[in-house]
Amino acid sequence: MSSAFLKGVRVLAMTQVWAGGWMGGILADMGAEVIKVESNKKIDILRRTIETQGDLNRGPNFNGYNRGTKSCNLNLKKPEGVELFKKLVKISDVVIENLAPKGMPGFGLDYDILKQVKPDIIMVSVPGFGSTGPDKNYISYAATVQSIGGLEASFGYPGGEPSTPSIFMADPVGGMYGVLGVCSAVYYHHKTGKGQHVELAQSEAIMSLLPESVMEYEMTGRIRPRLGNRDEIMAPHGCYPCKGNDTWVAIAVSDDEEWQALCRVMGNPEWSKAARFSDRFSRWQNQDELNKLIAGWTRSFTHYEVMHQLQKAGVPSGASLSTEEMNHDPHVKERGALIEMTGQKVGKTLTWRSPWKSALTGSNPASPYFGEHNNYVFNTLLGLSDSEIKKLIREEVIY
Amino acid sequence: MFYKVLDGVKVIEYGNLISAPFCAKIFADMGAEVIKIEQPCCGDDSRRMEPFMNDIPGLERSGLFQYLNMNKKGITLNPETATGRKILLQLLKGADVFIENNPPKRMKALKLDYARVKQVNLRIVMTSITPFGQTGPYKDYKSSELINAHMGGVGYDSVREVDISREPIKAPAHIFGFQAGLSAATATVAAVFQQSVTGEGTYLDVSEQESIIQNMHSVFRYYYNKQIVNRTDVLDRAPAHILPCKDGYIHHANMEESEWWRFVDLMGNPEWAKNELFADYTLRSQYWDALKPLILDWTKDHTMDEIYRGSQERGSAIGALYTAKDMLSDRQMAARGFFVEADHPEIGKLQYPGVPYRFSGIPKEQPSTAPLLGQNNEEILCGDLGYTKKDLVKFREAGVI
Repeated sequence: MSSAFLKGVRVLAMTQVWAGGWMGGILADMGAEVIKVESNKKIDILRRTIETQGDLNRGPNFNGYNRGTKSCNLNLKKPEGVELFKKLVKISDVVIENLAPKGMPGFGLDYDILKQVKPDIIMVSVPGFGSTGPDKNYISYAATVQSIGGLEASFGYPGGEPSTPSIFMADPVGGMYGVLGVCSAVYYHHKTGKGQHVELAQSEAIMSLLPESVMEYEMTGRIRPRLGNRDEIMAPHGCYPCKGNDTWVAIAVSDDEEWQALCRVMGNPEWSKAARFSDRFSRWQNQDELNKLIAGWTRSFTHYEVMHQLQKAGVPSGASLSTEEMNHDPHVKERGALIEMTGQKVGKTLTWRSPWKSALTGSNPASPYFGEHNNYVFNTLLGLSDSEIKKLIREEVIY
Repeated sequence: MFYKVLDGVKVIEYGNLISAPFCAKIFADMGAEVIKIEQPCCGDDSRRMEPFMNDIPGLERSGLFQYLNMNKKGITLNPETATGRKILLQLLKGADVFIENNPPKRMKALKLDYARVKQVNLRIVMTSITPFGQTGPYKDYKSSELINAHMGGVGYDSVREVDISREPIKAPAHIFGFQAGLSAATATVAAVFQQSVTGEGTYLDVSEQESIIQNMHSVFRYYYNKQIVNRTDVLDRAPAHILPCKDGYIHHANMEESEWWRFVDLMGNPEWAKNELFADYTLRSQYWDALKPLILDWTKDHTMDEIYRGSQERGSAIGALYTAKDMLSDRQMAARGFFVEADHPEIGKLQYPGVPYRFSGIPKEQPSTAPLLGQNNEEILCGDLGYTKKDLVKFREAGVI
């Protein structure tokens, strides 16, 4: 990549699972050289998911996240491994990690030690609950983090119980904040010459995207209810059944003009002229009945047909897309939002590029095999000879 | 601001509602000077959105607006007037970053698209955040948080225990608008770094739909699990679920075998746990319908706090479904100082969610509250751009500010 935001920035990645691998992939999209340090002592669980059938290089989630990064092997349980890690720190700009808070100190590689090795090193840590405080060592899977962060209590159908979500936002959100930490600290380093340790709590990252519930409680004393697809004032504002099995379309009407346009597209049915739907407040108040009537109309069309008809008339509407449909959607295709990774070992995998386009954004869809770049890292970067490398492999240091 | 990381960076925000204002908030929180431009008549639409202080609506009373616009300066300006546009271009000439989330057609009509902005400032970083990006067949489609969520795939993928006769739902509040703002800010800071190294500007086309796609794990499994067509295809029957307890809900998230047995220990090692039908993860998943009522029989007598802390202290991953009240009294958030107090002239002292990151090399500072509508007109237009107070009177009469 000849021109990119983070050209010339080298990142050592002590990362695992979702948030960590995800950060590496985004930083690589931005043009940084990301070297993931991995070991047979503790293999990333995403290299061992059920789909891989025992092949470390075939993990779809691993490959999707870690795209564009390099992989080297280093056993940090051995003192020689720790020494080699420090040599890599000396020639790097940034260390990112999302181990448990005791992980890096356990290897003797906490920030204070890294700072002695390289005074202006930037370290970015992305633990679930932060690296300080009484609960810092609590187990932080996405589910625990986003329940504490307030996402789950307000996720569900109106009036119902909270629903168990199958999307986990703690990782992409915590990971993106981690990348923000890298970019801002790299900028600060460029201006001042100073490095530092940036740490964040994924639970707080989720909270920072859901301020409404905290503000509502403080301003009115109320706990925000679960709203499903509903809005505080817009109606109709929902997801409606369409022709076919389990297909749906979302419609969101914000004012009288959009409401009248919706009625026109529906052929101005008699019920739409009723007083109980005649202004924003009455539509909101009578939305349950309104939703049933609209569903009676949407059922005759596919979700795409409803979307295109309504958009043509100026009404916000969108099909509720499955992964399958998204992969074939003409807009997603033209934008190149999804990328097919191919490689003899990794097999065919679908991933996405970073959610922005720019002349300075790259995208390198290759994902590293386990230890693929050992020679580059230990020979080209650190200058070890072939025989030294062989010896370190034998001694399970490069392992 | 919270941390002076981006000290000296000048940002102009011409945004509305969530995505661009949150993107610019991140710059303001990190010490950049952010000038927010609002419509003279009525300001940002979020000023008219719930919640309101003591349930009394008012332009300076929305909690959503207050949070989104902390640490910024605010001016009113109507770029639809020739004079308003001229003033905006003067501001852009001296800025490092321009953040906006208007429809692409509107920016072209106002002659404020990147091609024009570049003419006054070649080194500017301009970031446009729109529902579907600047290109492609849907670029001019109207959208909203609800539409974005469903077009981004997370509606269809959202709930684990699916009854497909019910509609797919979106995640709460405006979380995806916020996430798009976060994604945009991250890329924009990277572009500002590049700008400071090379002196070159760039244009960033950020799509909210693509920002949402980042949450979709099912994308990766697409070629491994060909049947991702219906919602039920993404379900896994793992015994990891939200369960009710005495005073709320817990998220039972045990992934490792050892974590389950630590949870069994917390429940007092009941006899039923020894049943061979529950011997391992796969079996517990298979017999979940039989297992669930046994667990519920214990959780109903125990509080969220007892289960959350009792499990976690034993090394078993369980989360508590915190509401705002729980967050504000949580000991971890208190120890880390996540919530911050700020005193606003109209609505007084309140706790606001702070920022999730901490910089070891920079002291944390007190944030300032969001600008009143047009609060910094004089400071910016007279102080920075050299207009007189008399000019401001005329601008106001003419509907420019």
